[in-house]
Amino acid sequence: MEHDFGAFVATRATSLLRVAYLACGDQTEAEDLLQTALERTYRNWNRVVRHDNPEPYVRRVIVNAAISRARRRAILSIVPMHSPPETSAPTGDPDLRHVLMDALRALPPRQRAVVVLRYWEDLSETQTAEVLGCSVGTVKSQASKAMAKLRSALGWETLEGAIKDAHA
Amino acid sequence: MPMLEDEIRRLMADETARLHAAPDLLARVMRSHRDRRRKARTAAVVASVAASMAVVVPSFTYLTAAQGPMIDDRSTFSAVPEPPPIDDTPPVPTTPPDLGDLGDGKEFGHVKVGYLPKGLRWSRWSVDLGDSYSTSYNSTGDPEGFYQVQIFVYEEEAVQELDDRIQAYRAEEDGEEVIVGGRSGYLVVQHVGEDGMKGTPTLFLGTGDRQRAEIMFSPGYAKEFSDAEAVDAELKKIGEGLTSTM
Repeated sequence: MEHDFGAFVATRATSLLRVAYLACGDQTEAEDLLQTALERTYRNWNRVVRHDNPEPYVRRVIVNAAISRARRRAILSIVPMHSPPETSAPTGDPDLRHVLMDALRALPPRQRAVVVLRYWEDLSETQTAEVLGCSVGTVKSQASKAMAKLRSALGWETLEGAIKDAHA
Repeated sequence: MPMLEDEIRRLMADETARLHAAPDLLARVMRSHRDRRRKARTAAVVASVAASMAVVVPSFTYLTAAQGPMIDDRSTFSAVPEPPPIDDTPPVPTTPPDLGDLGDGKEFGHVKVGYLPKGLRWSRWSVDLGDSYSTSYNSTGDPEGFYQVQIFVYEEEAVQELDDRIQAYRAEEDGEEVIVGGRSGYLVVQHVGEDGMKGTPTLFLGTGDRQRAEIMFSPGYAKEFSDAEAVDAELKKIGEGLTSTM
């Protein structure tokens, strides 16, 4: 059992760490999420290996734990709420990564999870709904709201508007 | 022009490229797991000693001292742009051995299943891990479908593993002791990856000196019942009908 689990960690830990980081937006918390998820997975390894690939299981633990923690923090007001940028990102911003990460952190936790699962993990709407334990309709609406905010934050509204004008 | 989704993917890839799991992550996970088990066992011993001895203080002092220092092993993250010590290659799928053709699935390993909720049939899936083995039941009989009821059986050395898990729940006062068909059991809702959902209703049952069973309802299947009491009643019925052939 330990050997199989070790092989799984060796091959997938980095990928899972990146999911955790995108889901929570914080490096320290990502490492904690990953370790917690792996501990839980090891405890239930016999059940988890029912599937050929235990990665979806661990990913589900990570994403849902990230959502739960973010909600708890919001309730307890331990960390100040981020405010999404009110204006589009400045044109030619040399570090759009930071803009994206700030915008991701500003999203409600479930919207952030939808973005990560749909556009980073390339899960379908149905698969995303299964991971989050919600309906496909909820995934669609959450994705739509999230992408509208990210579009604005990354300055794509301005860019798309300029292209439309150029074609007009 | 790339799609916004493509741009988000590119930015996410750039942002996370520097992240690599630390090479000792597995060791940290295993150490933390062992610490947790040791703490659960210690708590159980302390509770047992406290309940059975009039003079509690000396025993407690001894046990606490034996526990050793607590180590916080949470630093699993490395941001240095060195070649990752852990490969990020897709895992090689492995297929554990199964229990073979179980017919109607009502007898497997060293147990017989005397009762299943109406409409359930053997999923034609099973796994044989030696000292522990399992099979599941669903309404479609599809091995690729999700389980609705799953039974895990633990024997010999694996019994200790299950007893440790039960003890951990007991120490956290999560779940309740039950008697099912004259045998002792433990009812609990396990949360194993369903954060935000209602968890996996489970009955642990002692089916023999060196045999235990873990009977689970999937969270989705549990929703088909009116309430938690109805789920527990069904779990107990399955437990009552489960007999050992060892």
